[in-house]
Amino acid sequence: MPEILCCFKWLIDESYIRASSSGELDLETVDYKLSNYDRNAIEESVRLQEEYGGTVSAITVGLPDSTKGVKDALSRGPEKAYFINDDSFENLEPSQTAAILADIISSQINYDLIICGEGSSDLYAQQVGPRLAEKLGIPCISYIQKVQIEGDRIVAEKKVEDGIEVISAPMPVLLTVLPDINTPRIPGLKDTLGASKKPVINISKDDLTVSYEAKIHTNAIIAASMERNCQKFGSETEDIANLARALAKEGVIK
Amino acid sequence: MAGVWIFAENHTQGLELLNTGRILADKTGSRLLSFLWHDHQVAEDYLACGADEVLLLPPLEESQPLEAYIPVIVDELREGDADIFLLAATLRGKDLAARIASRLDTGLCSDCISLKLDEDNTRLEMERLVFGGAGIQKVFCSSRPQMATIPPGTFEAAVPANSRREGKIRELPSSPATAVKILEKKAKERKSANIKEARRVVCVGRGIEKEEDLAMVREFAQVLGAEIACTRPVSEEMRWLPEDLCIGLSGIEIKPDLYIGLGISGQVQHVIGIRDSKIICAVNSDENAPIFDVADYGIVGDLYDVLPRLHEELGKLL
Ligand SMILES: Cc1cc2nc3c(=O)[nH]c(=O)nc-3n(C[C@H](O)[C@H](O)[C@H](O)COP(=O)(O)OP(=O)(O)OC[C@H]3O[C@@H](n4cnc5c(N)ncnc54)[C@H](O)[C@@H]3O)c2cc1C
Ligand SMILES: Nc1ncnc2c1ncn2[C@@H]1O[C@H](COP(=O)(O)O)[C@@H](O)[C@H]1O
Repeated sequence: MPEILCCFKWLIDESYIRASSSGELDLETVDYKLSNYDRNAIEESVRLQEEYGGTVSAITVGLPDSTKGVKDALSRGPEKAYFINDDSFENLEPSQTAAILADIISSQINYDLIICGEGSSDLYAQQVGPRLAEKLGIPCISYIQKVQIEGDRIVAEKKVEDGIEVISAPMPVLLTVLPDINTPRIPGLKDTLGASKKPVINISKDDLTVSYEAKIHTNAIIAASMERNCQKFGSETEDIANLARALAKEGVIK
Repeated sequence: MAGVWIFAENHTQGLELLNTGRILADKTGSRLLSFLWHDHQVAEDYLACGADEVLLLPPLEESQPLEAYIPVIVDELREGDADIFLLAATLRGKDLAARIASRLDTGLCSDCISLKLDEDNTRLEMERLVFGGAGIQKVFCSSRPQMATIPPGTFEAAVPANSRREGKIRELPSSPATAVKILEKKAKERKSANIKEARRVVCVGRGIEKEEDLAMVREFAQVLGAEIACTRPVSEEMRWLPEDLCIGLSGIEIKPDLYIGLGISGQVQHVIGIRDSKIICAVNSDENAPIFDVADYGIVGDLYDVLPRLHEELGKLL
């Protein structure tokens, strides 16, 4: 029966981000959320467990105050969580995250299957999954839309530009999942209460045995601006006719 | 002998990377080397279009995935002491890049939308989108090779030089067997060709209630001479339209004269794909929908009520 580990990130909800007057991103008033596609990663882990048995654990690397994220992840079904946290774990780049995860997973966790999201909602680098697989020395099947377990192998449908590749690989395997693989459940009150009782294994920087310097360095993050007319019309026929005339005046209808 | 290496899944992407790669190689006074696996016939083309050397990867068996090339590519980059390695950001290309970067213990700028060398011509200064497209992250890579994946279409394709260019063609060793096997390939028809060039695009979002309602949108698009496109949930969750028609961060970018969004909330991951449109027009029943902040013209209303009349009014002007 498979031991499944899903990787999730707790991060800034981009819909709260505003540009400051200086053109920088204003990250003061933001809220946090579970990375969108990690919800699919967790859901798929739980779905596989329902079908094939086994266990599901969740793991994250983040700031110590990401406890809300750990609870959120646990409310979606995993039975326990590994929470690798330190005050310095802000703005890690993908090679660092992968190195930290690989270090802890290889020394402390048994697994047959690791499931990541296709990409994180903030960086969307699409690197942590494949890098982690490399560090662990296991096969990686990325961008998958469908997965099943056949004996000791994983069979998955991988999206490529010209269609789908049906891929088979011996476990342990790392998968990165596309959002269309499932519809994540929405945790109810019971799930949320239950999550508080589940074990969380706290892991600190002192438990790490590898170094993980940044290779990609950020000079700045500027706001991507979009200046538009922003003229709003109602939906009376008169309004619609006005809009049609405006479009014609712009020269885009002729 | 440091240099610039490139890898692309197809010919067009190869030419785009050759163009960029050539500029970088000239500035750094180094050579441009291109891997080639899909079509050995075009090796001469690649030389004419700027490569100093073409590295032929032997064909794979049917069941061998592209990742079988990883060890060969890694060896080549190590031996050549590569300074820069650019890959086309296709799905397989991105996966390959991350894994090669991990093996070489180097940094990778994913989906790089702009790059240039710094004043000393040593460091690549790269840009990429973050927070769904709300921010542009400016990065550099402190290790070697400096790696980036580049979305197809980001740069112009190279054209063959007028005078004959000298170059080398070298065959690389074949790849070891992989534990991962392709059992089957299911091809699909590609539909995105027109949409990138389209002058008018009608885009549908989750405000469309059911698949049948697309018929009415299609009719509208036809009258307008527009192509139809969609948001990611419509292609990936509902599967009402093919994925090639998804506009945005994980789909494609378009730059039509006119974009009309129907029942689209306007979240940043979608909007980033339409920012180069000349005119953006949106219909949404929620007056606070973020799409109105990035639209030139918006109609606050139920699309089922608005569309027939918009159809009629625009029809009068065409
Ligand atoms: C990493 C990442 C990458 C992503 N990449 C992409 C991408 O490439 N492309 C993309 O599109 N999305 C992408 N997304 C998803 C994106 O965040 C949004 O979820 C998506 O764009 C929303 O699609 P929508 O506007 O169709 O649906 P919704 O957000 O559900 O909006 C539907 C809208 O329709 C309106 N509406 C409902 N009924 C009516 C009616 N009868 N008449 C008029 N209006 C109506 C509602 O008011 C609402 O505003 C990505 C997300 C992440 C996290
Ligand atoms: N800090 C993190 N902790 C745990 N998993 C992560 C973290 N960052 C990224 N991941 C996983 O890696 C995937 C890809 O992230 P990225 O490479 O940042 O796009 C995410 O969907 C997660 O599954």
